[in-house]
Amino acid sequence: MNLVRPADAVVVALAALLIGAAWASLWSRGGPAEFAEITTSPASSGGPVVLDLGRDATVEVAGRMGPSRIEVRDGRARFADSPCVGRLCVHAGWLSRSGQVAACLPNGVILEVTGGDREFDAISF
Amino acid sequence: MATENSMPSASESLGRDDRLIAGFAALAIAIHILEAAFPSPLPGVKPGLANVVTVVVLLRYGWYTAAWVAALRVLAGSLLVGTFLSPTFIMSASGAVAALLALWLARALAGRWLGALGYSVCAALAHMGTQLVVAWQLFIPHPALLNLAPFLLTAALVFGIVSGVIAATVLAKLDAGPEPARA
Repeated sequence: MNLVRPADAVVVALAALLIGAAWASLWSRGGPAEFAEITTSPASSGGPVVLDLGRDATVEVAGRMGPSRIEVRDGRARFADSPCVGRLCVHAGWLSRSGQVAACLPNGVILEVTGGDREFDAISF
Repeated sequence: MATENSMPSASESLGRDDRLIAGFAALAIAIHILEAAFPSPLPGVKPGLANVVTVVVLLRYGWYTAAWVAALRVLAGSLLVGTFLSPTFIMSASGAVAALLALWLARALAGRWLGALGYSVCAALAHMGTQLVVAWQLFIPHPALLNLAPFLLTAALVFGIVSGVIAATVLAKLDAGPEPARA
């Protein structure tokens, strides 16, 4: 009798798959985001701009210093350009996981992706 | 164990079964207590080598005998270690019951193909999974406890494989051994 039969290998593989799924579901960070929410300070009339991440778009949001260009593509959102000095918001790159935030503080524009499962309720810096 | 080779009659064969169960249960209890004496590196994680005995008995003598051996091991083991009816005992008993149910199910579904390793992994995962749910329901009803599941199940898988390989080796040696060495 062989020590390990093919069915044993199948059982071990299935078990590993199950455990991998458990790791993925319980220890992975927030799920994919569904919306991008753009807040300006001072608050713009009509409240924050909400974009569906399912639809590619580029919008310009007026901030204190000028327009910030925000791009939505492939379920992600980013600052494509902003009139600030350091462009930290642009270097924050693409946001895709629910709860991620990028902000252009000099221009007073905050981009947050939300919806779906969030890793954190809020993030403070 | 020479008495097991005596002439079988109706009552003798029943007695042989009883002796088998008692002998294997004693072996399992010894391993159980030996393991209890070793400090566990991590809370909730134990190699569970006593399950080697359960799997070996299952494959050689069937589920009924294995269930007896496991039940006696949990009962007598807890009495000897001093955890009878304590939370530890409840955890141990629920895990053993789940492992036996898993073994029964595995045997019913895929008994023709499975070897010791497959049975051992099934039993280990059922054991750990049930213990986690019982601990969550009875002792620590906080959802964060379930976040330990992947970690504990990974440990269960590793130890299940180790136990399974040991059980398969033991079974191969028993099969190859001379007549008196069997049983």
